[in-house]
Amino acid sequence: MTATVPLAVERPTGGLAAARANLALAWADPIGRAGFALLGFTFLVAILGPVVFPFDPTEVGTSAASILQAPTAQHWLGTDELGRDVFRETIAGSQVSLLVGLLATAISMIVGTMAGLGAGYSRGLVGAVLVRITDFFLVLPTLPLIIVLAAIAGQSLGIIIVVIGLTSWASTARIVRSQILSLRERVFIERVRALGATDLRIAVVHILPNVLPLVFANTVLVIAGSILAEATLAFLGLGDPVHVSWGTMLHFAFEVGAAGRGAWWYLLPPGIGIVVVVLGFTLVGYTLDRILNPRLRNR
Amino acid sequence: MGGLRYLGRKLVQVALTLLAVVTFNFYLFHVLPGDPIKLLARAGNLQPEDIARLRELFGLDQSLPVQYLVYLRDLATGNLGMSLTYRQPVVDILAERIVNTVELLAAATVLVIIIGVVVGVIAAARRGTRVDTASVVTSLLFWSLPTFWTGLMLIFILGVWLHAFPISGSGTPGVVYASLGAQVVDFGAHLVLPTLTLVLVDIGQFVLITRSSLIDVLTEDFILTARAKGLSSSQVLWRHGVPNALLPVITTSALYVGLVVGGAIQVETVFSWPGMGRLIYDSVLRRDYPLIEATFLVFAMTVILTNFATDLLYMWIDPRVRNA
Amino acid sequence: MIRWRNAATVAVAAIMAVAGCSSSATPAPTTPPSSGTPSASTGVASAAPSVAATPSSQPLRIGWLNEPDTMNPLTTYSTEAVEVLQLVYDKLLDYDLSLKPEPELASSYEYSTDGKSITFHLRTDVSWQDGQPLTSADVAYTYNLIHDNQLGQYAQFLTDLTSVQTPDPATVVLTFSAPQAFDPALVIPIVPRHIWSAMTAKAIESFANSTPIGSGPYKFGQWQKGASLTLTRNDGWWGRPLPSPASVTWVLYGNSDVMGQALQSGEVDIVPQVPPTVFDGLTNVANVKTVSLPSFSFHHIGFNVSSNPKSGGNPLLRQLVIRQALEYSVDRNQLVQLCLAGHGQPGDSIVPAGLTDWHLAIPPDQQLNNDPAKAKQMLDAAGYTDRDNSGIRETPDGKKLEFRLIAIATTDVDVCAAHLFQNAAAAVGIKLDLQTLDANTLGNDVYNSAAPNWDIFVWGWDSGTPDPSYMLGVPLCDQIGGNNDVYYCDKQYDALYNQQATTIDPVARKQITDQMQQMYYQNAAYLVMWYQDKLQAYRTDTWTNWTQVPGGMMFNFTRDNYLKILPAH
Repeated sequence: MTATVPLAVERPTGGLAAARANLALAWADPIGRAGFALLGFTFLVAILGPVVFPFDPTEVGTSAASILQAPTAQHWLGTDELGRDVFRETIAGSQVSLLVGLLATAISMIVGTMAGLGAGYSRGLVGAVLVRITDFFLVLPTLPLIIVLAAIAGQSLGIIIVVIGLTSWASTARIVRSQILSLRERVFIERVRALGATDLRIAVVHILPNVLPLVFANTVLVIAGSILAEATLAFLGLGDPVHVSWGTMLHFAFEVGAAGRGAWWYLLPPGIGIVVVVLGFTLVGYTLDRILNPRLRNR
Repeated sequence: MGGLRYLGRKLVQVALTLLAVVTFNFYLFHVLPGDPIKLLARAGNLQPEDIARLRELFGLDQSLPVQYLVYLRDLATGNLGMSLTYRQPVVDILAERIVNTVELLAAATVLVIIIGVVVGVIAAARRGTRVDTASVVTSLLFWSLPTFWTGLMLIFILGVWLHAFPISGSGTPGVVYASLGAQVVDFGAHLVLPTLTLVLVDIGQFVLITRSSLIDVLTEDFILTARAKGLSSSQVLWRHGVPNALLPVITTSALYVGLVVGGAIQVETVFSWPGMGRLIYDSVLRRDYPLIEATFLVFAMTVILTNFATDLLYMWIDPRVRNA
Repeated sequence: MIRWRNAATVAVAAIMAVAGCSSSATPAPTTPPSSGTPSASTGVASAAPSVAATPSSQPLRIGWLNEPDTMNPLTTYSTEAVEVLQLVYDKLLDYDLSLKPEPELASSYEYSTDGKSITFHLRTDVSWQDGQPLTSADVAYTYNLIHDNQLGQYAQFLTDLTSVQTPDPATVVLTFSAPQAFDPALVIPIVPRHIWSAMTAKAIESFANSTPIGSGPYKFGQWQKGASLTLTRNDGWWGRPLPSPASVTWVLYGNSDVMGQALQSGEVDIVPQVPPTVFDGLTNVANVKTVSLPSFSFHHIGFNVSSNPKSGGNPLLRQLVIRQALEYSVDRNQLVQLCLAGHGQPGDSIVPAGLTDWHLAIPPDQQLNNDPAKAKQMLDAAGYTDRDNSGIRETPDGKKLEFRLIAIATTDVDVCAAHLFQNAAAAVGIKLDLQTLDANTLGNDVYNSAAPNWDIFVWGWDSGTPDPSYMLGVPLCDQIGGNNDVYYCDKQYDALYNQQATTIDPVARKQITDQMQQMYYQNAAYLVMWYQDKLQAYRTDTWTNWTQVPGGMMFNFTRDNYLKILPAH
């Protein structure tokens, strides 16, 4: 037997079929399944919740006694510092928190993928510069940067989304770049190039689909991080005062002394909401990461 | 020699990165807001003559490159400006606060790494069992906790409800301590809740990293050899497995400094700990721009320098790196 | 006390002083004579006999939420700094626990026959905390320093000062160009000449005074910025009896809830500024007593009525009908209930209700409060209707009744009020776009007198003195560029102000001040939302003999509670 035939057949790992297979694997894994369940529940609440239990921010209490009330039949999770229903407010907050997380991640993913493609595929000065910029943003501490940008740029929801997105793209870029570096020397790329494909075509049509699964897994984790970042910003008082997110609720709970008053109904629901959503994304992301990263597959 | 060349390269990289951070800082606070005088002027009603004098003072009537050089010169001479809130040099304020943050983070980092690694080792050793799954799930759960909310919960449960630990500050105020020991005990009591918060939230990463790294190592040939030689399980684990699995742990420890900065800000705010984290929060609340700028710079530079120190550590531990 | 704005001006001045620039001064309102006795009478106030304090070794610990900005008593505007420094420095006279004048460095004083001069006879047993004796030279130095350089928040009380004479080391004569209703000796701290005269006036402007030396009952101990500030008892103080607390420590908390917890756990003995919800949480706690006192403060909504052509304010706000409609749309009682948890009174006139002798309670039938139907009626009648069914009214030529609303992000009660105000305005067809800002930015935007570019704000005032002239003097024409935050200018109002300034008879004076209050109220440049109660709480098991003073047991015009409290055992 001669050794002229490669031991393993090179095959692209991207494509729709592969994606479906990976998701099936993720669902089969108990940790992954728990994650999907949590996410499913969260999206259900965020989409249907405000329809079934709408929240009117102008529906405030009537007297001092209606502030920070414990749960009653009328208010299942009691009232906040303006006498508003905490149950409905929590449901409404899920929309804001999720929206910010998803949009910020979208920005992060787009910027990160493009930067990673550029850094990974172009040889020479452009690539080197992009790598340096990526490393630079990786090294900058995130929360101080977010806080500073919010202080300078302002506190509207749009600005917050952009700020979070711009501070989290570097991890995506790094993953994309390392994937590309390992892919671009692969045999099947050589074959495609021999057939006359341009660099751009190779990058977009052949490399990108193989990069996307890992990017996706990373993106799921970035979503978790973005939701945490928004909650932290809002808690520190730098959030959008008009749109109440879970972080904003916790900010006001802290300000008006909910802990000292024993107002657990104001402190627990938004926090648990954040934990449930972030945990859902984390579990799914962790599972996908294990599936897609061949080195981790045995665990 | 490969080592010296590696060191030289790293030094150049660090210097460049520090310069990049300083330049980025300059951009953030002097270029991006459009007009830095606008930021200073927000503090009070300035007459046109005052504004002109301020421009001259800060070299703002010069071109941008010259301003940049003035900025670098000021940094090099330790002139970080005057705080608008305290009306004192920023450096003085920073110096007071840095120590407090270092104390907090040192305690937390040590505990996180030790406990995280130990649990990770145990999980890897009992891979596939319920202990392992529980460790993984718990780690992921704790990682999902928002730091500030965890702090609030601890205040609520251990501070307010059970009255077990003090919930704010780094010491009991206005107390004359009977002895150094009494002061240390008081400080330690105040350290418990903030440190516990950081430990809970950050321990998961170390458990998972240690676990996965060790699992990798445990499948390698030399482990089989050690087992074949008749060494006991725990000897194989602790004497051969763990030391070789530590490299990724060290990487994560280095990155941890960057991550824990964010945690420090939240914890110091929630527990009124008088450190750098709370300083950046307070100064942002008041838009005290000289203070914000300096604090951010300190955070960024600390992370960069810690990464550099870790690279040096690598160089010492792993000879393969030197020749790369 | 006076607002942040002047404090920040000094901050920038400090920075520029480093380069030798000078800061611009702010004009001050003239103070009218009040119901004092400007005849040649002697004023010797006597302290009421009480249980004497004896020096104890027990510390007094106080919780607060903000730190002082500096230890320089002549340049600070921070309430916290004034609170601390009033124990380190003495004044010629001071307020006692009934907010009446009592002697301090001056054991007696008398007015000249024309009322324009005051002669103070100083105690001769006073020394500075570094051992040097205190003489009239120190007093003259301090007053001249403030007057000649328009230095700090006390400068406005010395605008009429013409001379300071020191015939001997124990006598000071202050002469003014007109009889002063408000005696500045009650508020101005005396600083040591032998230390301060070494500095130029410019240097003093940025002087941090990190180890202040005064003549007062407490010496500076240490200030751990971000944590706590401690004073220790000055056993060489001239006053007898010596105060009980061996030391006074103010502890900084980042959050009012945590501060309330600290009181409950005994970490502090008293918290002098508690937000309403935290206060309610302390009402049934063992060993803690909660105290609610009337304050000399209010929070208000201000409308930009500037007639400056460069003003960026929406010109529609200069229409009285729109302002009055907005006033009618708001239910002040609801604001008190929800934002203050009931701890306050609905507001009306600009003189706080705590000044019981001077406050005018607007009769209910004349109140512009809580009548949305009337608001809608007024707007309809004036031609502001919702023509395009957008929910927002427009002018006949299509301009929407939409205004910008700003509030300070960290003042929770203001943010609460802003949200409720938004809802109320929306209910009558006016849209308010809320933006929350940091205190510095808001203050600078509001007080940008050259071109104020804002429409409506939510803010507050603390009266600088227990005399109505302070608040009445804010909306004067010549206070534009000074304290006048809404750029109100009414010659008739100004004429009345000057008239009451020279009216000695209190009954006659009250008639004029009532008229002024009514006028200002109806012109609706301010919407005074509430007079908040001063909410304080203290432990009953550590210190006792607290006297409840209108305006607060602490953070008030008097320091006597510090001097009179006794250990609880």
